[in-house]
Amino acid sequence: MSKRQLAMVMDLNKCIGCQTCTVACKTQWTNRNGREYMYWNNVETYPGTGYPKNWMELGGGFDAAGDLQPGVIPNLEADYGVPWDYNYDALQGGASFEPNVEPTWGPNWDEDEGAGVFPQDNYFFYLPRICNHCTNPGCLSACPRDAIFKREQDGVVLVDLDRCQGYRYCIAGCPYKKIYFNPKISKSEKCILCFPRIEQGLPPACAQQCVGRIRFVGFLDDEEGQVHKLVNKYKVAIGLRTDYGTQPNVYYVPPTESPAKFDANGKIIEGSTRLPIEELEKLFGPEVHGAIATLKAEMKKRKETGESELMDILIAYQHSDMFRLDNNYYQQVAKESGQHLLAPVDNRYVTGKHTKAGHVMKFFHGGDVKAGGHH
Amino acid sequence: MKKLTSTLVALATLATAVAADSAIDARKVTTSLDKVSNTSSVWNGAKFSTVTLYPQTTIEFNDKKANEINAENKAVKAQVAAVYNSAKIAFLIKWPDGTKNVQQGNRTDSYADGFAVQFASNYANPAELPYIGMGSEGRQALIHLQKQVVKFYEPNGNGDVATQVNPNQTELFGKDLKVFNAKVDTLASLDYEKSYVGEGFRSMTEIKDGSSNSQSTMTYGKNAWTGTLSRSLKDTYVDLNAAAIPVAFAVWDGEKMGRNGLKYLTAWTAVVFQKGDNTLVNALHGKIEGDATKGKESAIANGCTGCHQMEKTDAASLMGPSLTNIGGYATVDYLRESLVKPSAVVVPGYNRNAHSNYAWYNIENGKRVSTMPDHSWMEKADIDNIIAYLKTLKAEVK
Ligand code: SF4
Ligand code: SF4
Repeated sequence: MSKRQLAMVMDLNKCIGCQTCTVACKTQWTNRNGREYMYWNNVETYPGTGYPKNWMELGGGFDAAGDLQPGVIPNLEADYGVPWDYNYDALQGGASFEPNVEPTWGPNWDEDEGAGVFPQDNYFFYLPRICNHCTNPGCLSACPRDAIFKREQDGVVLVDLDRCQGYRYCIAGCPYKKIYFNPKISKSEKCILCFPRIEQGLPPACAQQCVGRIRFVGFLDDEEGQVHKLVNKYKVAIGLRTDYGTQPNVYYVPPTESPAKFDANGKIIEGSTRLPIEELEKLFGPEVHGAIATLKAEMKKRKETGESELMDILIAYQHSDMFRLDNNYYQQVAKESGQHLLAPVDNRYVTGKHTKAGHVMKFFHGGDVKAGGHH
Repeated sequence: MKKLTSTLVALATLATAVAADSAIDARKVTTSLDKVSNTSSVWNGAKFSTVTLYPQTTIEFNDKKANEINAENKAVKAQVAAVYNSAKIAFLIKWPDGTKNVQQGNRTDSYADGFAVQFASNYANPAELPYIGMGSEGRQALIHLQKQVVKFYEPNGNGDVATQVNPNQTELFGKDLKVFNAKVDTLASLDYEKSYVGEGFRSMTEIKDGSSNSQSTMTYGKNAWTGTLSRSLKDTYVDLNAAAIPVAFAVWDGEKMGRNGLKYLTAWTAVVFQKGDNTLVNALHGKIEGDATKGKESAIANGCTGCHQMEKTDAASLMGPSLTNIGGYATVDYLRESLVKPSAVVVPGYNRNAHSNYAWYNIENGKRVSTMPDHSWMEKADIDNIIAYLKTLKAEVK
C-alpha cells in the first residue's frame, strides 16, 4: 500500500462510447514501437467479449484466501487483434485499397451488439477500462523480478523497464489484463496514469479529453475532492470486479437508469427495465444496490428541492473541480526526494507554432525544419 | 505388504541417486578463445562429460497454460566440454530439443529457447555455494544468458525516440519510407546475450556497464542445440583461476513457454583444471552417505511433508518450496545446511505478495529468518539419511 492513492471515477451513465479517451491514450503512448496492438485505455460494450477477448475468464487476481491465481496470457491474433493498416504507399501505383493483414478480430469487434432481443429487450452500456492501479496489484505479485512497483507518493503502478525481462507472469496475474507484452522490446508495458502529466498538474489524457466528462481524478484521501466524495462519502462509485482481490482504484458510478422493455406489439412495459441488475452485481458486487438507491434518492431530492451536492458533482461543471491533482504536492515530493519531475508529454507532440520542429522531421531531413512540424 | 512395496520403490529410486554426474575435465589450450563457436577447432580434443538438467519445480509460477504443459517434465541430459587458456575459459553445451523456438517480434505468446552458464563469486568453501539458479544473499552468482529472440528494440537511453514511431504514422512515402525503415533497422539488437548478478529471487540485475565480458553462440541442428560461451577467467564478479571451479547450466525450451524459473538446470558441477586437490569434486560429486529408505521414514516422522511437497505424487504446498526435483539440482552440503541452519540461505520470498498466508520467512532485525524449524538437534546419521532420501527426489531422464 502506498502513502497516498490517486484514483479515477468514471460515471457510466454518461459514457457515450465515443472512444475519444482511447484515441487520446493511443496517440500519446501506444501508436508505436510494439505497442500498436495495446489499448491502455479501451471502451468495450457490456455485455460483450471485451478487450482482450473474454478477459474476465483469463484468470489472475487473488482468491478469498489471498492466494494469487494462475492466469492465461492472451494471444495477439485471437484475443487482442492484430492492428491492421492499409497500403497507402501502393495506391500511387494504382493498386486497390487493401488491408495489410486480413482482419479476423480486434477490439470492439462486437461493439454495440450487447444482449437481448431487438427491439423488445436488447441492452448494453459502455465500459471504459484502464489499469486500476490496484492497491494489491496482481501484476506486481506475479513478477519474479521485482520489476513492477507501486509509487509511494500516489500509488501509480509502473513497470521498471530496466528490470523487466519479458517473462509475462504479470499478464497472467492481472485479472483485468491491463498489462501487455511488447514483443518488439521484449518487455511488459502498461497504463502509467499519465504520470508525467499528473506531476505537472494535468489529468491523464483520457480524462482530460473525455467528451462525456465522465472521469474524475483525485487523491482518495483528499476529502474536499470529488473523487473522495463519490467513493467514500456517497459510496456511489465502486471498483470493478473487486472479487478479484486486487483492490482496484478506478471506481465506477453504475448505470442507474435504462429504458423500459417493449412487449411483442412494441408497447412499453411499464415499470420494466432493460438492464438486468444481476449483470451490474456481477461487475460491481452487492454494493451496487446501495449505490443505485443513493443515486435515485439524490436525483429525486434534486428534482424536488433543487439541491443535491452529489448531482452537482456528477454534472461535472468544472474540470478544475473534477481533477484535483494538487500540483504542489508533486513539487513537494520531488523536492524532498531530490528527483526531477518529468516533462509533461513526449515532445514530438508539442510541435506547434511557437515551438521547435519535431524530432521526426529533424531526424528525417537531417536537420531542423521550419517550425510548425507536420504539414 | 504395503510397507514392503514402498521400501522397494525407495530402493529403486535410490539406485538412480548414486549415478550422479561426474566432474568436467577442462582442457588447456594455447589457441585464442576470443571467438568461439560450435565449429571451433578447440573442441576437437576436448573431453565431453554428461550433465543432467532437471526441471525446476521449487517454485510454481502463475501461468496456467505453462504449468499444464510442464507438469510431466522429465530431466534432460546434455554433453558439456570446457577448454581454457591463460586468460579465458570456454564451454560447449549440447542438449536435445525437438523444436527450434525463436521468440517472435509480433506475438505476445512466443518464447525463446536459450541457455545459461552460472558461476559462483566465492567458492572457497564448497559447502556454502550460492543458491542454485540465482544466487543468494551474500553469495553472489554470475549468470551468462543467451536466448533466441528475433531482433528487438530495447529502450537504449540514446533518446532516438523519433525512430520509435510506427512507419505508418510518419508522413513518409516511397523512398523516404525505405530510408526511415533502414535507419530503424540499424537500431535493433540481434543478439539476446546478457549477463546478470544474482543474490536470490527478485534480486537478479543485468550487468550493463560492460564490466563482465562474454561471448556466446547458439546453433540448432539435428534436434539439438549447441551453445558455446567464452569469458575471461577473471572479472569484477568472479575469479576462475583455481584448481577447480563450480559451474551450473540451465536450458530453456520455448516450446514449453520456458522463461526464467520455467527451465531445466543442473546442480553445481565441478570443472577441474588441475588434478590433485579433490575438495570441490568430493563435495559436489562424492558418494552419498546415508540410507534413503530410513531417510524417507525420518522425513515423514519429522513432518517435512507438512510444508513441502516431497514426491511428485504428494499434494502441492504453498508453504515450503517443492522438493520434487531437489535431489537433481541441490548439493549434499546445501541440503545439510538447509536442515541444520535453515536461515543461512533464505531465498527472498517469491511468494510474499502472491501468497501472503504462507510466509516462508519473517524479517527479524533486518534479516530473513526462515519459518522452517532448525533440525540441528538431529543425530548426524539421521540427517545423512534424510539427505540421501532428498537426493533421490528428482525426475527421470527423458
Ligand atoms: S489493473 Fe492489472 S496491471 Fe493494473 S495494477 Fe491492477 S493488476 Fe496491475
Ligand atoms: S471519452 Fe469519455 S465518453 Fe468518450 S468513450 Fe471515453 S470515457 Fe466514454
